Amino acid sequence: MDEIKASQKSMWKKFVILLGIVGPGLITANIDNDAGGIATYSLAGAQTGFRLLWVLFPITVALIMVQEMSARMGIVSGKGLADLIRERFGLKITFYSLLFLIIADLGNTMAEFAGIASAGEIFGISRYVSVPSCALFVWLLIFKGDYKIVERVFLAGCTVFLCYIVSGFLISPDWALVAKSVLIPKPTEIGAEDLPVVVGLIGTSITPWMQFYIQSAVVEKGIAIKHLWHSKVDVIVGCLCMFLVTLFIVVCCAATMHQSGVTITSAKDAAMALKPLAGDYSSILFAVGLFNASIFAAALLPLATSYYVCEGMGWESGVDKNFKEAPNFFIIFTTLVVLGALLVLIPGVNLFGVLIWSQVINGVLIPLILIFIINLCNDPDVMGEYTNGTWYNIFSYGIVFLMFAANAAMLYFEFLK
Amino acid sequence: MAIFEEFPDISLNFSDSIGTSITNESGKKIGKLNDYFVDYNDVYPVVLALQYKINRQLFYINWEDIISFSLNKIIIKDSFFVGRSRTYPKVQNKKVIASLLANQYAGETLEYPALGKIVLDRQVVDTHGKKVIRVNDIQFIKAGRMLRVTHAAVGIRSMVRRLGYEKTVDFFIKTIRPRANYLTKESLINWKHVHAIPNRSFQSNLKVSLSNEDFQDMHPADLADILEDLDNHGREVIFSSLDPKMAANILSEIDEEIRPLLLQNEEPENVADIIEQMDTDDAADILGDLSVSKAEAIIQEIDDKETQDEINELLEHKEDTAGGLMSTEVFEISPESTRSEVMEFIVEKHEEFENVYDIFVVDSNGSLVGTCSIKDLLIQKENLPIKNIMQDKDLKTLTPDVHWREVARYMSKYNLINLPIINLEQKLLGIISVDDVLPWLLDE
Repeated sequence: MDEIKASQKSMWKKFVILLGIVGPGLITANIDNDAGGIATYSLAGAQTGFRLLWVLFPITVALIMVQEMSARMGIVSGKGLADLIRERFGLKITFYSLLFLIIADLGNTMAEFAGIASAGEIFGISRYVSVPSCALFVWLLIFKGDYKIVERVFLAGCTVFLCYIVSGFLISPDWALVAKSVLIPKPTEIGAEDLPVVVGLIGTSITPWMQFYIQSAVVEKGIAIKHLWHSKVDVIVGCLCMFLVTLFIVVCCAATMHQSGVTITSAKDAAMALKPLAGDYSSILFAVGLFNASIFAAALLPLATSYYVCEGMGWESGVDKNFKEAPNFFIIFTTLVVLGALLVLIPGVNLFGVLIWSQVINGVLIPLILIFIINLCNDPDVMGEYTNGTWYNIFSYGIVFLMFAANAAMLYFEFLK
Repeated sequence: MAIFEEFPDISLNFSDSIGTSITNESGKKIGKLNDYFVDYNDVYPVVLALQYKINRQLFYINWEDIISFSLNKIIIKDSFFVGRSRTYPKVQNKKVIASLLANQYAGETLEYPALGKIVLDRQVVDTHGKKVIRVNDIQFIKAGRMLRVTHAAVGIRSMVRRLGYEKTVDFFIKTIRPRANYLTKESLINWKHVHAIPNRSFQSNLKVSLSNEDFQDMHPADLADILEDLDNHGREVIFSSLDPKMAANILSEIDEEIRPLLLQNEEPENVADIIEQMDTDDAADILGDLSVSKAEAIIQEIDDKETQDEINELLEHKEDTAGGLMSTEVFEISPESTRSEVMEFIVEKHEEFENVYDIFVVDSNGSLVGTCSIKDLLIQKENLPIKNIMQDKDLKTLTPDVHWREVARYMSKYNLINLPIINLEQKLLGIISVDDVLPWLLDE
């Protein structure tokens, strides 16, 4: 009797430990479905139907591997990714990498504000009202508010995207066809015009800034090395959740729009995918989800960027510090938010275009960051006995190679031909 | 020819000198300067050798073989000695006391890592400014025919220099604001305040010697802040070198989430030494965060049997109840003790208790029979036995299973500084003092 009790107790304890460690992976996967993400997935579904579904499978595998490496590095070294890049590759390489990343993240921040503007316009609110007020809200939230509480509200709001799964079942597409499209790769069917979509899909799922974010989150949580396994579970569960939601967004959009030949030019069109579930309310549902995801990422993304840039450059950082103590941190954050909001307000800017192309830039940058990550994961100075195995390396370099190939092909067909 | 004839400046920046070509007297190209080897035992380390690179392979040459040193060219003797190694073998000739690296013995040869590899772009501790900083550049000074390390550069200027934009940026700033601070003042940290932490791979043969007074003299709260800013490896290196008393102070001060990380690789024996320096309630908190097997192993190593039992008892209670909050070091007095005996007792033993504001009177069975505040004791002129001074009616007590919020409410209602905790048989188990509850209230 006592033995059963003891084993129950230890089972319970294991579960509690797991819950304590679960988090960084799940949160990271959730913010993956931000404004740029939803736009890209919707576009992929509407433009290509089920044809590119199989691409999601290798992307998810790659995402799991990348995030696992980042989380492992965080746990073993107790340092952020920017810290490690600086120590391993020196100031020059760090400086220029961070410069590119800031530019990419400015694009991403724009995308988040574009998402806010699009969501506002569905409700009939002018972007000249919604964007500045949200920018102000984000700034105040980070420097004056309690971010931890608001984070939970945002995370709860992310469950709106589960609607896509319900909607998917209501549409009831040809499931056999969906399964076949996911599982059987058809690389030969990718046309030149699909390449930006493919790179965008890669870039929006495996964003560079998120690798910095997950590693810092793991470090901040102070997870001990013996809980490495729990953190792997966290990453895998998070990525599979993302895969599921992504899959259903693409399927819904493919079934509702691709088959009837509708092309997406604005966020309003993308809301059609939720029509089977919400009918006339679909655009409201879509707008709420989009707004929540966008403002969440509009706060988190500039924050994460400011943190990792300061970390790499050796500057003071922290939301609890004042301007005098951490000037660079303040300047970077404020510039990203203000500039990101302003650029979206330039008259005549195509919001949907901003959403898609910012993700393509991510896709171009991510293999470079991946090379850093893989290189660091093989350095015994950093990882001790937890370096990558041979097969793991072969696999991850394979992923990098495929990404470069996709980028090169896209750049060739888009700009040279 | 004097070694620095071609180099008129007084000081030298690490980043400016890297890549300088090295040739021998006959003009044959040897390689390019890659890094420096210095004597870490010095307060201002002297350069022992230069590291150079050919075809991605690393070699070193001794400083004595250098004929001329300048930023354009380094000329060495034709008959120079080449060492083919990433590290520099340094024979130790004396025991070192105050030093950056190593605490070693005479005659032993140690492999020294290159200076740039362990300092440049790395986090070091600035013991003067009491913070963790990242080093952008290293400054040397000419001293006779030697070079010595004097400063670590940390400011924006050193960053610009490393990026290779010094001349361009200087030119622009000179045109816009000729008197800008940027041009004249560089953020430097005196080398005697710089504490570097060697990499994992160097750990086997080199240890940071922190017998250096700097760390032991620091306020535990400052050092705790520094440890919070460092990574796991750096924390372990510094923490494991502290004496148990300091380590105990650090553990009480440092962020709760970091505590288990600090202790994860320590031997149970060492942790026990640290735990013995702490109050039993703090000790129980820390052990409660560790795994059961690890905590047990540590408790077994505690020398004092009584402390062992007390901690074990505290661990039984939930952290957020009176039992978890209480300290078992209680100021206990028998009813027969006289006022003067108690005063003597306070003088002798006050260090063992968190405070001496209240005296708890306990009979031979360990049951609480009364309390007496130090005030009551002080205003009493006659040398009476304590049982005549103490208050024995309506004692304010709680049992160990009470939730901490109830404890706080109770202490606030009756204005208690110390609250005795008793079991159902009136036996005194421990006391909660007001500062045990405060952190919980603040976290609300």
